[in-house]
Amino acid sequence: MGVIGYGLGVIGAGLAIGLAAFGATSAMARQPEVQGRAFTVFILASAFTEALGLIGFVVTLIS
Amino acid sequence: MDAFSKLPEEINHLVSEFSSMPVVGGLGAGLTQYSVWLLVAAIVFAAIMLVFIKRQTLVPRGVFVNGVEYLIEYVQDDVAKGVVGTEWRRHFPFLATIFLFILVNNFIGLIPGCKPGTGAIGCTAALALVTFIYFVYFGCKKHGVIGYIKSLAPAGVMFPMNVFVWVIEVFSLLLRPITLAIRLFCNMFAGHIVMGSFSIMATLFAEPLLEHFSAMNALGALPSLAWLAILLIIYAVELIVAFVQAYVFTVLAAVYIQIAEAEGH
Repeated sequence: MGVIGYGLGVIGAGLAIGLAAFGATSAMARQPEVQGRAFTVFILASAFTEALGLIGFVVTLIS
Repeated sequence: MDAFSKLPEEINHLVSEFSSMPVVGGLGAGLTQYSVWLLVAAIVFAAIMLVFIKRQTLVPRGVFVNGVEYLIEYVQDDVAKGVVGTEWRRHFPFLATIFLFILVNNFIGLIPGCKPGTGAIGCTAALALVTFIYFVYFGCKKHGVIGYIKSLAPAGVMFPMNVFVWVIEVFSLLLRPITLAIRLFCNMFAGHIVMGSFSIMATLFAEPLLEHFSAMNALGALPSLAWLAILLIIYAVELIVAFVQAYVFTVLAAVYIQIAEAEGH
C-alpha cells in the first residue's frame, strides 16, 4: 500500500519538475543570453520540488 | 528470477543499516554512526580551514588555496551580497560556516563506506534550529521584540484582515525550520538509499557468476552491467545534489534573515 501511495504522491513532484523544465527551456529559447541564470533558477526550483518527492520516499521506507 | 527474490530482504537490511545505531553508549547518550562521521567531517573541515589560513598569501597560489577562496567568494557574492543586501557583512560568517559545513558533510558521505553526517534528522534539525534562532534574534534586535512580532503582519492591511495574515505568517515562520531540516535530511537519506539499492542489484545479478563460472551464469550477470551504469549516473547526480542542497540551505537561511530584517514587511 505504501508503495502505491508513494507512486501517487510522486505524480505531483514529477509534474512540478516538468513545469520547471518547461519554463526554463522556453525562457532559454526566447532569450539565450539568460541561459546561465535560468539554469541556476531551474536547479534551485527542482531542488525544492524534488524534496517533496523525497519526503514521500523516506516516509514510505520508515513507516 | 532468483536475484529478485532476495531483493526485499537485502533492501530491508540496507534501510536498517541507514537508521541511527549507537556505536558507543546508548541512543540517549552516546555516539551513533552518524555522529562519528559528523566528528570526522568537523575535523576535516577544521583541518582544511587551518591549512588554508596558513597557506594564504596576498596573491592566492595553487589549486587548494584558490579552490577554497572560490567557494568562500561564491557565498560572499552570490548569497550574502545578492540575497541579504546591504547588511551582508554582519551575516557573511554565519552563512559561510553553514554552507561549508554542510558541503564537507555531504561530500564525505559520498565516499564509498562513509556516511554523511547530514543524513540523520537530528543533525539537520540542529542546523535548522540554529538558523531559526539566528534570524529571529536579528529580527528582534532590529525591530525590538514587540516590533518584530508586529512586523510579521505586512503594513498597509486593514484591521480585521491583518490579524488573520499575522496568524498565517506565524505558522509559516514556525514551519521554516521544519522544512529546512526535512529537505536536507530527505535528500541525503533517500539519495544514499537509492545508490545502495542499485549497488545491491548490481551485486545480486553477478553473484552466481562469482560462485561458479559458466556461460549460463555469465548471461545472467549481463543486467548487472546496466545496473552499474545507472549507479554511476545516480552517483553523478548525487555529486550535484550534495552541492545544490548546501547551496539551497544557505540561500534559504539568507532569505529568512533578509525577511526578518526587512523594513515594513
